[in-house]
Amino acid sequence: MTRYVMVADLQRCVGCQTCTAACKQANGTLPGVQWRRVMDIEVGEFPNVKRVFLPTGCQHCGDPPCETVCPTKATYTRDDGMVMIDYDLCIGCAYCALACPYDARYKVEDPKFAYGDEPMPHEVHAFDEKMIGVAQKCTFCVDTVDEGIAAGLTPGVDPEATPACVNSCISGALIFGDRDDPNSPASRALAESEHFRMNEEAETDPGFYYLWDKKAEGLQ
Amino acid sequence: MKNPHAAKRGPRPRVQTNWDYRAACNFIGGGTGTGLLIAAAFLAWFDLPVLASLLIGLTAVGFGLLMVLWEIGRPWRSINVFFNPKTSWMTREGILAMPLFFFGGVGVFFYDNVYQGISIGLATTTVAGIVAAGYLYCQLRMLNASKGIRAWSEPSVRPYMFITGVVEGLGLTLCLPGIGTNLGVWLALAVLLIVRAYLWLAYGQNLHKNNASVGTCKVIDQFGRQYFTAGHLLPIGLLVLAWLTSTLLPAYVAGILASAYGWYAKYTIVNRAAQTWGFAIPRTPVRGGGESLVLGSQQ
Amino acid sequence: MSETRDVPTYCYNCVAGPDLMKVRMEDGVAKQVIPNYDAEDIHPGKGKVCVKAYGLIQKLYNPDRITTPMKRTNPNKGKDQDPGFVAISWEEALDEIAEKLLESRAKGLKDDAGLPRLAVSFGHGGTPSSYMGSLPAFLASWGGPIDFSFGSGQGVKCVHSEHLYGEYWHRAFTVCADTVHTRFNVSFGANNDASGGPCATWRHAEARARGARRIQVEPHLSVTGGASAEWVPIKPKTDMAFLFGMINVLLFEHDRDTLDLPFLRDRTAAPYLIGPQGYYVRAKDSGKPLVWDTLTNTAVPHDTVDIKPALDGSFTVADVIEKGPDEDSYQYQEIECKTAFGKMADVMAEYTPEWAESVCDVPAETVRRIGNEFLENACVGQTIDIDGQTLPFRPVAVTLGKTVNNGWGAYQCVWSRTVLATLVGALEVPGGITGTTTRLNKPLGNRLASCTPGEDGFMATPLNRTGKETWESKPSGRNAHKSLIPIVGSGPWSQALGPTHLAWMFLEEAPDGWSRNTYPDVWIIYRTNPAISFWDSNKISQTIAKMPFTVAFAYTADETNHMADYLLPDATDLESTQLIRLGGTKFVEQVWDYEGVALRQPVVEPQGDARDMTWIATQLAKRTGLLEAYYTAFNRGAGGVPLKGEGFDFSLDPTKEHEVDEFWDAACRAASMEFSEGKEDRDLAWFKENGFYMIPYKREDWYLYPTMVKHNLRFELPYQERLTRAGEELKRRLHEHGNSWWDEQLKEYEAIPTWHDVPALYEQSLRNLGGKPEDFPFWGITAKSAQYTAGSNVGIQLMNEVGGNVRGHGAVIMNTTSAEALGIAQGDRVEVRSPVGVTQGRAELLQGIRPDTICILGQFDHWKTPYAKDLGFASLNTVSPFSLELTDATGSGADLVRVSVKPIGGQT
Repeated sequence: MTRYVMVADLQRCVGCQTCTAACKQANGTLPGVQWRRVMDIEVGEFPNVKRVFLPTGCQHCGDPPCETVCPTKATYTRDDGMVMIDYDLCIGCAYCALACPYDARYKVEDPKFAYGDEPMPHEVHAFDEKMIGVAQKCTFCVDTVDEGIAAGLTPGVDPEATPACVNSCISGALIFGDRDDPNSPASRALAESEHFRMNEEAETDPGFYYLWDKKAEGLQ
Repeated sequence: MKNPHAAKRGPRPRVQTNWDYRAACNFIGGGTGTGLLIAAAFLAWFDLPVLASLLIGLTAVGFGLLMVLWEIGRPWRSINVFFNPKTSWMTREGILAMPLFFFGGVGVFFYDNVYQGISIGLATTTVAGIVAAGYLYCQLRMLNASKGIRAWSEPSVRPYMFITGVVEGLGLTLCLPGIGTNLGVWLALAVLLIVRAYLWLAYGQNLHKNNASVGTCKVIDQFGRQYFTAGHLLPIGLLVLAWLTSTLLPAYVAGILASAYGWYAKYTIVNRAAQTWGFAIPRTPVRGGGESLVLGSQQ
Repeated sequence: MSETRDVPTYCYNCVAGPDLMKVRMEDGVAKQVIPNYDAEDIHPGKGKVCVKAYGLIQKLYNPDRITTPMKRTNPNKGKDQDPGFVAISWEEALDEIAEKLLESRAKGLKDDAGLPRLAVSFGHGGTPSSYMGSLPAFLASWGGPIDFSFGSGQGVKCVHSEHLYGEYWHRAFTVCADTVHTRFNVSFGANNDASGGPCATWRHAEARARGARRIQVEPHLSVTGGASAEWVPIKPKTDMAFLFGMINVLLFEHDRDTLDLPFLRDRTAAPYLIGPQGYYVRAKDSGKPLVWDTLTNTAVPHDTVDIKPALDGSFTVADVIEKGPDEDSYQYQEIECKTAFGKMADVMAEYTPEWAESVCDVPAETVRRIGNEFLENACVGQTIDIDGQTLPFRPVAVTLGKTVNNGWGAYQCVWSRTVLATLVGALEVPGGITGTTTRLNKPLGNRLASCTPGEDGFMATPLNRTGKETWESKPSGRNAHKSLIPIVGSGPWSQALGPTHLAWMFLEEAPDGWSRNTYPDVWIIYRTNPAISFWDSNKISQTIAKMPFTVAFAYTADETNHMADYLLPDATDLESTQLIRLGGTKFVEQVWDYEGVALRQPVVEPQGDARDMTWIATQLAKRTGLLEAYYTAFNRGAGGVPLKGEGFDFSLDPTKEHEVDEFWDAACRAASMEFSEGKEDRDLAWFKENGFYMIPYKREDWYLYPTMVKHNLRFELPYQERLTRAGEELKRRLHEHGNSWWDEQLKEYEAIPTWHDVPALYEQSLRNLGGKPEDFPFWGITAKSAQYTAGSNVGIQLMNEVGGNVRGHGAVIMNTTSAEALGIAQGDRVEVRSPVGVTQGRAELLQGIRPDTICILGQFDHWKTPYAKDLGFASLNTVSPFSLELTDATGSGADLVRVSVKPIGGQT
């Protein structure tokens, strides 16, 4: 089987938002839409305070509640675990967005551009009317992944087969790969590190892991 | 001076912005409407005039659905809503809307007709009432399946939503001509109000117990105090007063209060208290010789 | 199927660069920025660029751009005046500007006050050089002094004291930890994970991954603090106490032999004997500083071979001299003297961790523990193999950030940090602190080659003259750097590294005994907005408005070019051509295993009528009759690459006119021939395809230590004998000419620095401005965010949008408890006030900041720059004074000011 997952190494992430910006450009999302974003979390009380940067986005869950609730079957899961949206089926009811415990989905009804009502050339180029009024979210850059695989490349290893956020990450915090392949970068990262997933209580089997420490035993 | 692109999604729970008052109207219209139809189904067997209930009930449900149509991004594709009966309560709600309007509509237009000895009005009202119960059930399951909003995914929201639909319907029914004087209706409303109050309290307590966000609990608790008093104690008291004084007005007010506060509660649940999970990390990363703090679920 | 191509280029919008990237074009539209994967194994940041570079697409297509030359029609200049800019042709603009230049030039290059008539200002740490095409050749062709001293914050608000002292002590214009090896890093506010770009971010992430421990000591929990193992919330401007405390721990709480004694003995001036006047004890005959050899128990010159100099102890020496200031000379028949090391210990003795706690508000045990950790991790005695060379391995580093390494107290801090390194031998060796480049010592950018033997066993470092006959009593530049700052030298960069705020201040009013600056005839500005990025925004705007003739290369309208006479739209990053050098070692953590050149090329035609800087420079040269000198300068290397070398000559014919591409084609070919030692000739077309040309750079060359050993040189530490002498001479010169206004600064010339109560200086300054400390209870500080480390992108929507995910973006960061005590809730609009000004923003309540401190990220408070002016963000600059009394001896200030905070109603 194949299950593509995202791994974020919290020891490395510095909250720079490079992935946030790279994702927006790669996917042409409108202002306000951030399929990938990094949150800046503070815990503790002065002077014992910690600050954690947490990348998030669609978790491509194994048991996605968005798919369960979707009345049109626009949201569906692929065999490789990626949760996708058929924009032509979607009626834009936003039920999926409310079913998602990760606040990962967006819906744009009234497109505005970066500097008001007039789009710049790259915004014109990126604009797709079929994305208006429907649900949208991180797709793990599915087109890039699929084209890469077709060309014999490995997602998570070869940039031309890897999501833009992972490629852009300047601290090496984001890792992508097939969890069912023990040699993928994601699997190796999980094997070497202590990790958790967010909002486990929701029981959606999220495909997004967060590393918090190297494991005590040897690596590799 | 306002930052035109200020960030809206942070790590803390935030009030959801996907469904606005129009979605609340769907639950209000749907709940009250089906409540009217369920009440009508019972009352018809006692020969009480329920045509108005039928009509208002259908209108209310229709109103709710129209509000949804107004809210969705691609209304011209609404037919797609039927595509996922296997798992989606929204699909199921949509499916049940059809027999609801069919039987209710036949009942409205052919109420006084008889067919092969069976009163059309009675038959259709009864079926519509059963379907309405099913529709109301779909609505509460639909709300409850929204895992992203703990105020909705809390299991005890289900019985509450069912009862309040019936209470809202019954409260309005009481105000309709020919029904308002029926003591049995008053009694039923009073009993259901007690049940609703209990279910509301249980809901509020369970939100705390099951780690709903601080913001959600705060809104529910604050509203709950007013709700309990003005939405339950007061209407029950007014019903008792009406009974003791044999006057109608207090009973009407009680009915209106019971319904209106039910609507306000829905607006509170759907819009004001509906917060996302937020991101409460279980522990902090080590970061090269640091320590990893283990954290609680509220941050 | 769309037509896609990936165009290689570089980003050097901030000093953490340059970094390599590509622009993905689809159907002729610049769609997105992506890493340059071809550079993954060459670039220390893995071929990636940071978030800011992704804003370059919007920068290119921004509808608010100025796309045609503009001329002012309203002669009145001021914030409240509408400039009345009208569009004109390039012909008109260039003709009129050239006319003005010629008019000025006809009167001579200097005015009656001896100051240059032409002034030019560039922004952000030299980075504009990588965008200005051949403009440096035009400036070189001017043939005489140009005033570069009207700063916009670089230098004086930068890591200024680190620049000057770092370069003096170890050719470290900037200092970085040898992060690839460092195991323990104490960072006093160095914010590498926010502003260090891809190189620093990658290196530090890797360090964390292998368990390296970084402790961040600073008043607020910055991004870097957040990503560190520990945060220590120190009181602002008290870092010297902590550092002194660490030195005290190493000197007094550990056996002497835990320190790197061989390093101290042989590679520093620690064993030099100190005489009664405080200068080195020297041999009478040779004048060489003496040390006490413990093997022979005699005093011998420092460069005697096979000796073991003493570090501790008192010694009696006979027939010796001290060289004082000017011609003062002191002769002694017999004196008792200590070593520099001993003198240092004497001074440091009282600075215990307990004392430090009382000053910096950090528990003594923390100071002590961190001092101990520093020593424990130092691996004294260990070695490492670097490319076949065995070098000392000392994986500990103390790094400093702004407000620590500039302004008052910075001397103490940079001295302490460097001395700590010397105590364990961690200076310029693997794992320790290293310098990155030179900007004051020649050859520029080649720190190893600039390390040549000078006097007294140290590197040769020219200081500005302070002799009776040689001191520059009449300043030749408006910030008087040659007169006031001996250590800044007089190289091409020295002006911009002098006290650039004095250039502005002395336009309005000069101190007693000093003359007011004259305004330049012409002021040209490029990639700089001093009205926003310097202190006291309102005041400097008024001064800028008095500039008689300003030519602004303009991207959009902004607060400075609001006062300009002409606006010239240059073709920006993705629309123009240039070749730059990169690699080797450079600012921040640009530490490569390769060096070479990279090309920047247009991905589309320039928007509107924007023109390539090289074209503009050529036109200016042509119209001012300087074309031949201009081409000659470019041929010589003013564009970054000399066009003639061994076995090649791609010089441009100075008698012909050349297109933009010809300049850079020649540069490409010359650069590739230079780096390949004549083997490979790569032209512009090749570079457009491949993006860069690089050759290996020896990792051994990251460290100055081998060169110091090769020349048998010592690091001039801990005792600052030469600088103290220079300071004394400077004092004499200033007093001889009736100047006592620099006397406080002169007190900083201490051979071994002592503690100064810097917070008290700021409080006194507040009183002098008419305020009372109790009315302005908060320390106002600033920091960078990764999204805004240089000001060029404040108008970019994408940055604001993604920046919003970062806590404190666009806000006044306050401690939650302090805010609540003032009735301020999260999101409330607040006013931050000082006696100098007031700024407004929304409050961000956090636990990660001291209760006595507020922090405003970035530099905003715009009123003209499109998009930025509508953000409603506060700025510390608006409330910070230009202050002579808050200027230190190197001529720098710091971004620190006492403020009050008050809610003003409304939320954002």
